[in-house]
Amino acid sequence: MNKYLLSKKIVVNELSTFYSFVIGLTIGIGIGSIILLAQGQNPVDVFSLMLRLSIGSVKSISSSLNKATPLILAGLGISIINSVKLWNIGAEGQIFMGGIALNFIYISTEVTNPNFSILLLLLASFVGGAVCILFPAISKVLFGVNEIITTLLFNYIVIGLTVYLVNGPWKDPNSLNFPAAAYVGKEVYLPTVFGRLSYGFIICFLCTLGVHYLKEKSVFGYELRISGGSALTAIYAGINAKQKAFVAMLIGGGLAGLAGGVELLSQTHRVSTGLSQGFGYTAIIVAAITGMRPFGIFLVGSLFGALTIGGSVIQTMGVSSYIADVIQATTLFGALIAQFFFTYKITKVTEDV
Amino acid sequence: MNNNILEAKNITKSFGNTHALKNVNFYLHKSKIHGLLGENGAGKSSLMNILSGIYQPENGSIYIDGIKVKKLNPDLAAKLGIGMVHQEFRLINNFTIKDNLTLSKSNIYTDDFNEAFKKYSDIFSLSAGSETLINQLSVGEKQKIEIMKLIFNNNKIMLLDEPTAVLTPQETNQLRISLKKLSEEDDKTIVLITHKLKEIQEFTESIFVLKDGVMVAEDLETKKVTKNDLITLMMGEVSQSEIRKDNQKGKDKLEVENIFFENIHSNVPTLENISLKVQAGEILGIAGVSGNGQVELANIISGIEREYKGKVIINGKNISNQGVKARKNLNLSYIPENRLGVGLAPGVSIIDNSAVKDYFKSRLGPHLSSNKMLDYLNILIKQFSIKAPDPKAEVSTLSGGNMQKLLMGRELISNPEVIIAAQPTRGLDINAVQSLHDLIVKQRDNGAAVMLISEDLDELFKLSDRIIVLYEGKIVKEFIIDEANIEGVGLAMAGLSE
Amino acid sequence: MFDIQLMGLFNATLQAATLLFIAALGELITEKSGILNLGVEGMISVGAVTGFITAVNTGNIFISVLVGVFSAALFSSLHAFVTVVLKQDQTVSGLILTILGLSLSALMGKQYVGKKLPVKIESLVTIKEPTNIIEVLLSQNYIFFLSIILMISTAYMLKKTMFGRRLEAVGEDSRAADSMGLNVNKTQFIATCVGGGFSGLAGVYLTLSYVPYWTDNMTSGRGWIALALVIFGGWKPYRTAVGALLFGFLEALVPRLQTYGFELSPYLVKVTPYAITILILVVLTIYKGGRTGAPSNIGIPFFRESR
Repeated sequence: MNKYLLSKKIVVNELSTFYSFVIGLTIGIGIGSIILLAQGQNPVDVFSLMLRLSIGSVKSISSSLNKATPLILAGLGISIINSVKLWNIGAEGQIFMGGIALNFIYISTEVTNPNFSILLLLLASFVGGAVCILFPAISKVLFGVNEIITTLLFNYIVIGLTVYLVNGPWKDPNSLNFPAAAYVGKEVYLPTVFGRLSYGFIICFLCTLGVHYLKEKSVFGYELRISGGSALTAIYAGINAKQKAFVAMLIGGGLAGLAGGVELLSQTHRVSTGLSQGFGYTAIIVAAITGMRPFGIFLVGSLFGALTIGGSVIQTMGVSSYIADVIQATTLFGALIAQFFFTYKITKVTEDV
Repeated sequence: MNNNILEAKNITKSFGNTHALKNVNFYLHKSKIHGLLGENGAGKSSLMNILSGIYQPENGSIYIDGIKVKKLNPDLAAKLGIGMVHQEFRLINNFTIKDNLTLSKSNIYTDDFNEAFKKYSDIFSLSAGSETLINQLSVGEKQKIEIMKLIFNNNKIMLLDEPTAVLTPQETNQLRISLKKLSEEDDKTIVLITHKLKEIQEFTESIFVLKDGVMVAEDLETKKVTKNDLITLMMGEVSQSEIRKDNQKGKDKLEVENIFFENIHSNVPTLENISLKVQAGEILGIAGVSGNGQVELANIISGIEREYKGKVIINGKNISNQGVKARKNLNLSYIPENRLGVGLAPGVSIIDNSAVKDYFKSRLGPHLSSNKMLDYLNILIKQFSIKAPDPKAEVSTLSGGNMQKLLMGRELISNPEVIIAAQPTRGLDINAVQSLHDLIVKQRDNGAAVMLISEDLDELFKLSDRIIVLYEGKIVKEFIIDEANIEGVGLAMAGLSE
Repeated sequence: MFDIQLMGLFNATLQAATLLFIAALGELITEKSGILNLGVEGMISVGAVTGFITAVNTGNIFISVLVGVFSAALFSSLHAFVTVVLKQDQTVSGLILTILGLSLSALMGKQYVGKKLPVKIESLVTIKEPTNIIEVLLSQNYIFFLSIILMISTAYMLKKTMFGRRLEAVGEDSRAADSMGLNVNKTQFIATCVGGGFSGLAGVYLTLSYVPYWTDNMTSGRGWIALALVIFGGWKPYRTAVGALLFGFLEALVPRLQTYGFELSPYLVKVTPYAITILILVVLTIYKGGRTGAPSNIGIPFFRESR
């Protein structure tokens, strides 16, 4: 009779997260195909249409990358916070808060210099996101309150605030079908390149570089790593782990807020309940599945942007757009399962005769 | 007929690339007390974990009462009557004694718990009631509960892993008496796993010796073996070097005055009126059973703990109100007893851990130069003979000895003025212990003031110039090394000196 | 007149509380074994949609409830597999399953949006407008009474039975429990699936009684409140029930505020349960000084060979 032993691998392949993701993607597409078949659709037709309309032209690639931008920015924020082993489940709310803060500054100030205004508005959105995470950050750092629950519940508070604003004080009388705030002026729209690719994506790429630098090459990132490894080691080393964690959370929240600001200035151009459709949650898993690596988040996020665009497009074929969500979730789940095989090894045990 | 209650043949076990056990034979006679002797790292714990079903061997077979056992897991091992008391206790801290004794599926005292508990409380001289929570017990008491667990599970074969490591000499004697009663009156077969020769000779009737994963001696009759025989078997021909105690002492480098400390979380002792001095070129040993204030004292001196009364003075500078950075600036190094968890951060790479003390030296503004960090690590590796092939690997992939070398190297490379070392050689093999002792002595000869906190009396006697005993947060006695003996220190550790 | 309104409020409170409580109780059991399941929201959704679809197609309440419970339990076995067997991160797995659960249910339920239910869950006694407490209690449906039974039996199980104490032992210290011969993996796996089943029951209650129809985003964060409730209740069934009543009360109160003459924007008022949850959580954590009663081992995967 054979026995099997489970043991942890000592050295884990650097590329394992990448391989896991590819495996997960394969599983995701597989499950998606099964669902499509069950609905009487031809998976090949559906997927080739999705591919064509999401990355088949400059226009579509631009749409996909624009879609990916808030996902990546939120994911970057989450990856910073996770350096100290904390989770930011509140990215969704922070995205909305970023939009709200931006709009607030917009209607409170005059646009004299558009470029300056854009910068100011984006900064406002960053601050908005940071403000949104402030309470969970303080309660975690000072009192040890579970940040998973507090950041999560804040999402509902902020979304509620958004609904209140777009139905109340900020209600745009011109928007009849859909409650929303008034559009911001065209002068503060983020410019585009190649006709459609927003500057927001460039901002997102720069942030990827910045977060990578912060995490890997800066003293701050080092102190975060040590604090995340063991709070006791941090104290021993003279690092004020609580202070570092607090700052990390603010930056993370700010980046999610920035995601909201960028999305507003480049896509929706106004505050509404459609500012984010769950990016904040997807971003968490995208970040986790890439091992919290900024460049990984950038790549996977871009891919997911394409998937989402593809998913919304195939509605014309009569396929529910939820299929894209299912494929995304299954991909991530498959990657999680695949990770197991890279971190653990199974050995056979032989019995003595 | 074979009188052996347990037989293990040809056991082989590896962890990753390390061979813990190679073709090991081991057997036990019914109702006798056996000893498994070997230095740290020889494979004793691995063998015992296999016998109790926690680890699976890659090769080999086990027979209980002559019958071969197919697949051993803790549940089956318990059913077959094998139980083990580990070095790190496996008691549920928030649960009561009664819970810890009765939740096991093999508990035999379900209806008559109270009688059984009374009977064995008497044998072990345990005063706590069965509804006491585990986290309210002392270390020695917890061990008694661990052994009682085995009895309550009807374990006829009891494996005890380094049981005396956490006991005072007096408690050790009590344990010897209890175990004798258990083997003679209760028919228990007992195995004492240890690296301490004294206990093996005093407790056991039969000795097995493990060296580097190989069983070099089987079933020796304790009465007929000498100490030197055992040392040779355990360690080969290596003889322990004596430390020269003709070191020159200089001015006071570390002064601690009237420290009072109260810890708000209960069960942790306070410190009362602690005053001491350590001179340059001197090693001051702090003796005491774990949990009597050593960690707190070390944390106060090193600047980790800030809420206390009293003075800490280094090289004449009063830094009582300042924190860790002030100590670093005055070149104080602290080697904490919690190697992985405090000194080194788990889950963090080797290179990151190597920079914990001096990462400021690799910085250029907000930027941390990874090249400088790598150079620094390589210096440490070379100077302290650390085996660390991949700097990016997680630090816990290093062996215990290499982790400690990394930790100590990192702290000692700057030739500190004051060194606080807590349990520096705990759990390490003889070669690692030797090299670490040499390191400490070298620093002493360089003029450092060393405070050595250790539960290992042999180590303290070997290295110290003076020994201070801590008991319940107070200094109860001070010895100059020439006037000290084990009994005297042992009594002080138990709070029983005049 | 006032009586009926007050009783109406009480009635709505009980119903909202039942829903929250069942999900929270299930998660309590899961967490007691040491597994954190953030996927509750997704599991409620799965139970809700499968129960609804079965009810529309078969007209049989009993089977619908069974299908809902079983589907959610099956769905949660994915979480159990990934966290207990494969030892992957519990937070990530739970979140993925929330998204997967929500999107799968949306996908499955798309054709059933707006469909009418042929049946409803029966009440003990049908009283249109109860005028006193007894009448309110009697007019609750069977699932309400089931939840009371579940509450009492769970509390009893945890404190008084060997099974329950062993479950707690696994969640407190899995290594110690393992060395006692307890099967950690099996305990955690089963506890997760049972917790999922409870979420499924809550979901069924949602679509077959509380609402009762199917639309997108029906669960609207109740799963997350259930998670908060577990903490609020200190992992004790009776206290969790108290918490559920409190939140049920808030949820019932919000749409009624205007009738009591409060001129607050309904949107802002809707936010109060979440805000109050956070405040209570913070106060509780501070008051308890960090010792919230959480199983000490929660979130840490059990691995026997770890040295």
